[in-house]
Amino acid sequence: MLKKLYHQFASPKTYIVLVDKMYPYIFYISLCVYSLALIWGLAYAPADYLQGNSFRIMYLHVPASFLSQSLYLIMATAAAVFLIWKVKLAAYMIKAIAPIGALVTFIALASGSIWGIPTWGTWWQWDARITSTLILFIMYLGLISLHSSFTNFEKADKFISVLVLIGFVNIPIIKKSVDWWSTLHQPASITLTNKPTIDPSMLYPLFFSMIGFSGLIVCLVILSSKVQIFNRESNKSWVKDNV
Amino acid sequence: MSHSAMLEVKNVSFSINQNRLFQNLSFNLSEGEAIHIKGTNGSGKSSLLRILLGISSASKGDVIWNAAADKIFLGHKNVLKNYLTVADNLHLHGLNATHSEVKSMLQELNLHNKTDLLVGNLSYGQQKKLALVRIFLNTSKVIILDEPCVGLDDQTRVLITSFLSSELDKNKSIIFTSHIPLEIPSSEVVIGRL
Amino acid sequence: MFILFKLELFKLRKKLRAWLGPILVFLLITISFPLTVELASDDLKNVFYSVLWIASLLTVMVSVEGIFLEDYEDGTLENFSVSNDSLFAMVFMKIFIYWLLIGVPISLLGTFFSISMSGQISSINIALPSMLISTYIFINLFSLGNSLSLNKGSVLGALITMPLLFPILILLGKIVLNAGFGFEISNLLLLMLGVLLLIIVCIPFIISFIIRTHLE
Repeated sequence: MLKKLYHQFASPKTYIVLVDKMYPYIFYISLCVYSLALIWGLAYAPADYLQGNSFRIMYLHVPASFLSQSLYLIMATAAAVFLIWKVKLAAYMIKAIAPIGALVTFIALASGSIWGIPTWGTWWQWDARITSTLILFIMYLGLISLHSSFTNFEKADKFISVLVLIGFVNIPIIKKSVDWWSTLHQPASITLTNKPTIDPSMLYPLFFSMIGFSGLIVCLVILSSKVQIFNRESNKSWVKDNV
Repeated sequence: MSHSAMLEVKNVSFSINQNRLFQNLSFNLSEGEAIHIKGTNGSGKSSLLRILLGISSASKGDVIWNAAADKIFLGHKNVLKNYLTVADNLHLHGLNATHSEVKSMLQELNLHNKTDLLVGNLSYGQQKKLALVRIFLNTSKVIILDEPCVGLDDQTRVLITSFLSSELDKNKSIIFTSHIPLEIPSSEVVIGRL
Repeated sequence: MFILFKLELFKLRKKLRAWLGPILVFLLITISFPLTVELASDDLKNVFYSVLWIASLLTVMVSVEGIFLEDYEDGTLENFSVSNDSLFAMVFMKIFIYWLLIGVPISLLGTFFSISMSGQISSINIALPSMLISTYIFINLFSLGNSLSLNKGSVLGALITMPLLFPILILLGKIVLNAGFGFEISNLLLLMLGVLLLIIVCIPFIISFIIRTHLE
């Protein structure tokens, strides 16, 4: 039965069918959730006593940075799956996620800079978390450029998987960097174990914005992965039927 | 697998980037036998050799080697260092240029008085001859050659052919590709469209 | 294994410009530094470790550029994988030899200069181990980068692995800072040693996988 499951999920054809069914739901629900979160956060949540209204960019910055790391984690899992079990779909996913990861990391860096101007007085600082996130951004770009520099796609898949796994050392550094070095960034307000230190009236819109933004990005990933699959399996008969 | 069989190839197919080069290729190789792989340019002969060597893997099918079959390969690249002398290069392959066996081989190929020359200063044909020295002085049971006689004059070609024949007599097996016809008894495997 | 060591040593030894060149470059940098800065200032002694470290980083980066390229192009790597010898061992030996012929002389030279700069023999405790370990780590990481861009011959691979360097650079920077202030650095050195041991095992393994993929 496990083998049946495996064959189902590893097949690009089944994936496309599944994803096509789910896409409209995910898109519309996330759009609603994120809009709700933004309206709540931008208009109704109270102003922060230190930062005033500028903190509201948090509703874009925090989901973006969270996603930039999560997407890399997903890529790393896909890379491991590809290298161990040779599931081609996993390799397509890595190629699909990389540009979106770059986009999200860029949003995180840009929104962070914008937030920094009123709060810290500077739009850039070489502190641990910002620098490691910048490194993450460069890694995403590196992955995209590495894959496109090879004409033989099977080789390119293997290289990109290896590179993703090697670059994985960066993720714990980003996560823990605010704990290890006392720097400009504030420590994590929301952890799995402690009570959140952020006020509930700001916390709820933050949660919704995380869910909504993630959903929208998942939609982008779905679109990107469909492009990859159609590209790479272009001579298969079921592709010719679908497109 | 029978006693003298060195290699079994069953229904091997190979494709790059969804382009199929060849499919359902099957043949066997025994001791003391030679196989000539024929095909047009770009038909996948070198790719087939790489699959047989274990460097690449076939998209479909099996390549089963006898456990006792140790292989030696010479392809388009000579495995020679241009900045080292002939003697040093032989040393890198575990061959001593002062040994009688090596000396006589070099003499037959007209390289014996060039042992202190840098390989980079030798001509293309001379480098090829030096590369072949390594093949003939080796004890591997299977010899795999990709275009062994490119760039060699007729006289040398005859010499190389006689060396290959004597290897066959020693019960070694040879797989080779060659556009130039080689006068050794071999069976043909044709891939691609002629 | 020992035969591999001798063969790789033989190959590199004869290729003088591959290892003597970088050593001379490093020498040039360390000599020009005191010539171009006022000798009397105190800041010089603190900055000197930085200069040593950056000079060794750049020298190693440039010297490791062709580490696998030549063997790839003349078919040696292909031959190696055909003969079923351990590619891991070959990569490990190659990197080790490069460190012996480039990293160690650079470390010795750098230590010598640090002694002459700071006027204390005790700076040998800071400069020598940190340079020996860091050059070995750099050689490993830059070899990884170069193995990725093997067939293109460009620096794309090296650029890609530069982000991975940053944790090491941060650590080394901390060592340099602490050394400049005269703080205890032995715990940081032990940490770096641990990183080195991890890298020595992992990197040749990864590189041999990458080379095998290139050869396909």
